[in-house]
Amino acid sequence: MTRSAIPVLETERLVLKGPAPEDYPNFEATFTSYRARFMGGPLSEYESWMLYAAEIGHWQIHGFGMWMIHDRETDATLGMAGGWYPKGWPEREIAWVIWPRVEGRGIALEAVHAARGWCYDRLGWTTAVTYVDPKNASSVRLCERLGATLDEDARTVDSHDIVYRHPAPAALAATPLAARIAAELADHIDPSCKPKGVPLD
Amino acid sequence: MTFLPVLPALTTARLTLRGPEPRDYPALRAFYASDRSNFVGGPKSPEGAWRQLATEIGHWALRGYGRWIVTERETGHTVGMVGLWNPEGWPEPEVAWDLFEGFEGKGYATEAAHAARDHAYGALGWPTAISLVNRANTASARVAERLGAVYEGEVTHETYGSIGVYRHPAPEACR
Repeated sequence: MTRSAIPVLETERLVLKGPAPEDYPNFEATFTSYRARFMGGPLSEYESWMLYAAEIGHWQIHGFGMWMIHDRETDATLGMAGGWYPKGWPEREIAWVIWPRVEGRGIALEAVHAARGWCYDRLGWTTAVTYVDPKNASSVRLCERLGATLDEDARTVDSHDIVYRHPAPAALAATPLAARIAAELADHIDPSCKPKGVPLD
Repeated sequence: MTFLPVLPALTTARLTLRGPEPRDYPALRAFYASDRSNFVGGPKSPEGAWRQLATEIGHWALRGYGRWIVTERETGHTVGMVGLWNPEGWPEPEVAWDLFEGFEGKGYATEAAHAARDHAYGALGWPTAISLVNRANTASARVAERLGAVYEGEVTHETYGSIGVYRHPAPEACR
């Protein structure tokens, strides 16, 4: 089979590509681990593979889905981000999962911001939600960094989750929120505390 | 929008086998809601049936083969899902068949599985193939036997429990 025609998104540090067969071991490592406890896991290897296949089928069914996040320099996979709308979901979701040990570099923010922008710009979404386990502190925090706010009136998937509603497309274009996201990403990309050379004395 | 390459289609005397598509969801939903799915992971909720369809499509992308949706050439009716199945942790690549309500007793599973096995042995070059059949699924066991497959014992799968392994004749014997 030739490679899929899933669109490729490029950001400063990342390339988002369709999930490929060779990326599966990294997905399995995360979804069979404790890391997956907020995403219905840990799964068995069989369940994990069936889910990975479904992630690809989701693209074919809906025309959108979850991208594999790659490091632009090394091509290593770092996690997944994208649109997720399986049967039973009340609304289209912006979803993500970051592999263990990738946290703390703003990777999820950069990937999800790009994925959300694509769903808004290319698919014409006017709104989007993220379903999150309230115990998943880092995802709750990311929702807030993305400008999403708790929507207590929205339907949940299974009552164990809470719903964050993302800002509408207009609220992301040339606004203080957009500037704040850009500034946070710029800081991750070029930390001001990083040594820039050998000090002269 | 299409993201996967066009999947190969097969034609038999009475049937067409084509790749699974979004429009097949109602047929899968009905099948997985029925007792006919009891031996193959069902019954499943509508949500579970949707995920299964997504998984069937993704199986093609990950393995380069998968299960086809089988339709009657004459009427266009969807009669089942038959093909090549090999998710992670499967004992061996399998020729698998599910017939939908109302289309049993016509030899369709045998006809479609025969074409699927020919594709596996021909285009894909499989050296051997099995079919997995629940001990209580006597109709499916008869299909395996009609295809010349021979029972060789049980394996245990985390989801399906103890399940019978039928070994198909080697490619040379199927020519």
